[in-house]
Amino acid sequence: MNTRHVGPAHGAHEGGHARRIPRADALSSRLTVTAVAGLLGILAIGQLRAQSGAPALAGLSATDLTQLIANLTTGNDELRAEVADLEGQQTHLTEARDRGETTVDSLSSDLARIRAWAGLSPVTGQGIAIVVRGQIGGDGIEDLLNELRNAGAEAITVDGVRIVTGVVVAGAAGALSVENHAIGDAFEIRAIGSPQILTGTLTRTGGVIAQLLATYPGTQLTVAPVEQQTFPATDRSLVPSHGQPRL
Amino acid sequence: MTAIVVWLRALPKIQVTFAVALLVLGFLITAQVTGEKPRAQYSTQERAPLIQTVLDLQTQQEAFKARILELRRQIGDLEAQDPGAAESLRQLYADLEDARLAAGLIAISGPGLAFRLEDGTTGAGVDALVSAQDVRILLRELWLAGAEAIDINGERVASTSAVIDIGGSILVNSAYLAPPYEIRAIGPPDLYDRLRSSVAFVDFVQGRIERNGMSLSVAPLASVDLDAYAGTVNLRYASPAASGPP
Repeated sequence: MNTRHVGPAHGAHEGGHARRIPRADALSSRLTVTAVAGLLGILAIGQLRAQSGAPALAGLSATDLTQLIANLTTGNDELRAEVADLEGQQTHLTEARDRGETTVDSLSSDLARIRAWAGLSPVTGQGIAIVVRGQIGGDGIEDLLNELRNAGAEAITVDGVRIVTGVVVAGAAGALSVENHAIGDAFEIRAIGSPQILTGTLTRTGGVIAQLLATYPGTQLTVAPVEQQTFPATDRSLVPSHGQPRL
Repeated sequence: MTAIVVWLRALPKIQVTFAVALLVLGFLITAQVTGEKPRAQYSTQERAPLIQTVLDLQTQQEAFKARILELRRQIGDLEAQDPGAAESLRQLYADLEDARLAAGLIAISGPGLAFRLEDGTTGAGVDALVSAQDVRILLRELWLAGAEAIDINGERVASTSAVIDIGGSILVNSAYLAPPYEIRAIGPPDLYDRLRSSVAFVDFVQGRIERNGMSLSVAPLASVDLDAYAGTVNLRYASPAASGPP
């Protein structure tokens, strides 16, 4: 067999036929191996990082990134306000405890706020009313509710039923229901929040209402601001029966 | 065969090392290139500072959320240590704990399942990418099947949570989530059986997932751990009302 052998630089023998190679060749081989190993290492690290769940920001366009920045900025402003509110609450509780006072007022206020936010108690406020006429599927209504939440709706009702975690408007067009309550072909969706932001988000060009009107031709969706409206509490028990608090 | 073995043995070690290294190199380059598809790559110069801004905002968001969870825990501890400890106060505290549990402000564990929703194979086009609508359908089906609590890639779904598209990925609670999406739910032990008996769920799997080469895997679990919702519960426009509408 006429095979050319390239042995290691230190002249180890391969089957007794290896030859000693010149020092310059050996150095060149070592440098090549080092370079290949280095490149291999960089690529391996890159691959591992890419697979470690890092956000796929590389796949976003400049427009998407700008939209993402706007969303993150708004979200962070809300979180900052929440932190400030909780820090104030903590300070108040600490001072009350140091003075030996009870914290009934603070507990009651916190309870009322959480119950209202979760839908466990009635709420009142300004917002919008959307009158829906015609046949539309549950998927379409859920898309509308998702957009309302995205626009900052703090409470929502569909045909008078409070929408809370786990409540779904389901059914085909003409057979909608929510919480075992049948919905007719004409009903109202109401939301509490900024009337301007809610209306603007829903009715913008190419927005959810435009999409729904294209998907469900013949349906009418009319949005109007409401100065004051009151929503009932949910009838649903939201305390988990299968899940337990994690200590 | 013997000739091949002899030939391989006769090869110098350095050549074998090179061959293996180049093979791995080729594999890694292929994996790197295919891993970036089908979500498009953009190379305009203005993107670098935008990406850095997003990363900074995400870091800030994580810090805020961690701080919120820590403050809520500390406030809960302070409320529990109230010096009065009268029956009325104990009842108030118990009501508060129930409300927090109902609102998703407390981490919980329980039986349930975990879904993993992934994009289709490379080259299948935009229809093979998981969209916010796909995630919302899955959430809806889980709620209808009796799920009590759900999270998406660790983001707890609350009454105000929206799931929206952003450039082929999604935003949940203003958090940017990239695929694959892991959707975990706590519910009755037969949650998956209930889900499978839903016509809408079967249509979703057959008509959307399978048709477009996407992947949806499920694992029923004896115990699922869900973190608490770490977003805001402040109300700006709504306020508690004395009673509901007449």
